[in-house]
Amino acid sequence: MLEVLDLHHRFGDVVALDGVTLAVGEGELVGLVGRNGAGKTTAMRAIMGILAPDSGQVRWQGAPIGEGQRLRFGYMPEERGLYAQMRIGDQVAYFARLHGVERHAAARAARSWLAQLGLGGRAQDLLATLSHGNQQRVQLAVALVHDPLLLVLDEPFAGLDPEAVDSLSEVLRGQGAEGRSILFSSHQLELVERICRRVVILDAGRVIAAGTLAELRERFPAQLRVKVGSATDWAARLDGVSVLRSDEDGVLLRVDPGVDSQAILRAAQQAGPVEHFAFESAGLIDLYRRMISQ
Amino acid sequence: MSRRTQAVRLVAGREISERLRSRTTRFVTVVTALLVVGAVTIPGLIKEASKPTRIGLVGPAARSLAPTLQRGATAAKVKVSLSEPAREAQGRTELRKGELDVLLSLTKLSRTAKVEVEQTLSATIGALISATVEQARLDTVLAEAGVPASKVRPALATAPIAVAVVKPSAPHEDARIVAAIAAGLLMYMSLSLYGTAVATGVAQEKTSRTAEVLLATVSPGQLLAGKVAGIGLTGLGQLAIAAGAGLIANAVFHSASIPASVWALLPSFLAFFLAGFVLYAFVLAAAGALVSRQEEVQSVIIPVAMPLVLGYLLVFAAVGSPNATWLRVASLLPPLSATLMPARIALGHIAWWELPLDGLLMLASILAVARIASRIYAGALLHGGPRVGWRAALRLPGR
Repeated sequence: MLEVLDLHHRFGDVVALDGVTLAVGEGELVGLVGRNGAGKTTAMRAIMGILAPDSGQVRWQGAPIGEGQRLRFGYMPEERGLYAQMRIGDQVAYFARLHGVERHAAARAARSWLAQLGLGGRAQDLLATLSHGNQQRVQLAVALVHDPLLLVLDEPFAGLDPEAVDSLSEVLRGQGAEGRSILFSSHQLELVERICRRVVILDAGRVIAAGTLAELRERFPAQLRVKVGSATDWAARLDGVSVLRSDEDGVLLRVDPGVDSQAILRAAQQAGPVEHFAFESAGLIDLYRRMISQ
Repeated sequence: MSRRTQAVRLVAGREISERLRSRTTRFVTVVTALLVVGAVTIPGLIKEASKPTRIGLVGPAARSLAPTLQRGATAAKVKVSLSEPAREAQGRTELRKGELDVLLSLTKLSRTAKVEVEQTLSATIGALISATVEQARLDTVLAEAGVPASKVRPALATAPIAVAVVKPSAPHEDARIVAAIAAGLLMYMSLSLYGTAVATGVAQEKTSRTAEVLLATVSPGQLLAGKVAGIGLTGLGQLAIAAGAGLIANAVFHSASIPASVWALLPSFLAFFLAGFVLYAFVLAAAGALVSRQEEVQSVIIPVAMPLVLGYLLVFAAVGSPNATWLRVASLLPPLSATLMPARIALGHIAWWELPLDGLLMLASILAVARIASRIYAGALLHGGPRVGWRAALRLPGR
């Protein structure tokens, strides 16, 4: 389990991290979202030990991270970086060895990951001769080759075509199922929603929300859509309920916490025949917009 | 092996194996070796090719001079080959065709000897011919006067003088000067070649952002040490191959142009290469980490390379006045020492205490430079945006 406790960091006058606290459990996929400059990359660099935060702690399995433990982390930085003039087979194996994998095992793991990512026949090719998408796959192989316990991926989906997005999602879900802890950042919120169980929303260096989608939704009043024939004014009299919108699909109601939905249903039935009655679950995009604008 | 040294070894290993794979490295290795072999063998070949002066003798009197001429030539350490063209006209034709260098025509000793050459007559050959003719005339006069030549000769011999050399030149002085200049040049060339490779390599890792992936597993110190070690060992290997090729060529061609005393200096040259390389490599690695684009590498290298160039130029001053105090002091300054000291060693005017003192100064400055350069390197390596200044880089937070 990865725990990030109260990280603070400034670059000159710019506050990059302002008390970031988050956790990634075993086998858990956590999405880190937030606008550009929210502090996602700085937080990930601090976790990887590339940047020493001004204050705060990063812990792994309950203890501060030592040199040996970080070797079991896999990292994919936002700005991809590999040796352009090196053969990809050698390159992936080299990074495995830097992570402490023994020579033959490193070569085996490199071959196996390149094959899994569809680059089986290209181990002898120089990185520079590969397409952008394939270079991205090599970068992913580098992050995975040493069988890491924690994966930190900064924008792993950026610049991928839909097919590649699907196959990367598949790989990440597979890794999660094998018990790896995975933290990744993304601007593609529908993707985060699909893959992750939990999300952490960063804004201006602060965690403004964290939890499962259901938990995030609870922080906001529920929205209820009801269609009662052609009647629209029946809901205005109810306590704890306000009308957000009214159109040909009926009314969209904001329901304060604690209000009995059965009472609303009864009021609707008195107004006329109920054609539609359902809570609308807000997607991550809605939630994100609402939180950011708060 | 500890995890730290293992990481350094892996980084160095990658540098070496990737460099060995590159065509440029192989090309440089072959060219350096060929240059050294050429420097060893060509002077020998040229010496071998120095041909005797071909002198044609026309007329009975000229022909009678042949034995004296030959003896005189041997005494003066000049090679001559004598031939006897049938007539003067034939001799002149041979001269024009380049089959003869000098044509000496003399029918009677009492007449004027005629010497014909294509363009110039060397002073030695001129003196040799006139002395020979003079000798023959004197012998004739003495014989006519009834005095046996053998009685007069000792009196005519050059009076012996005893020469005492007050300031003897070191043995093989010429070879030592050549070796000094060659050592300075080789040191300058290889230090700039491999030093540039370090700066370029670091800049590549920074600008391609590979550094960020690397720093997630290794420390900046390990990365720097591995890089310097890998490139340094590749360079040392190339120089050793070149030196080996030179030694073999020297043995095969039995060329006497390079005395054993110069070859004996080889290990100290390699030691100076290593020390000088490490010193410059740390600074150049820091310089390479400052750039934001690969194209800027050249401009950050130039100020660092200045002392290297200066050290090389001072080699020529050292050849002129090897014992000057200011040169002795300059050769002890580590940035100049790498090129200047090997040249002074080759010249052979080193006091016993200079080498250990230089070694200590070198070691101390390597340690100091490595500390400061590592800080700059660690701070600047992950710094995005425009080029970083030296002082600004020192203030950047490293890891």
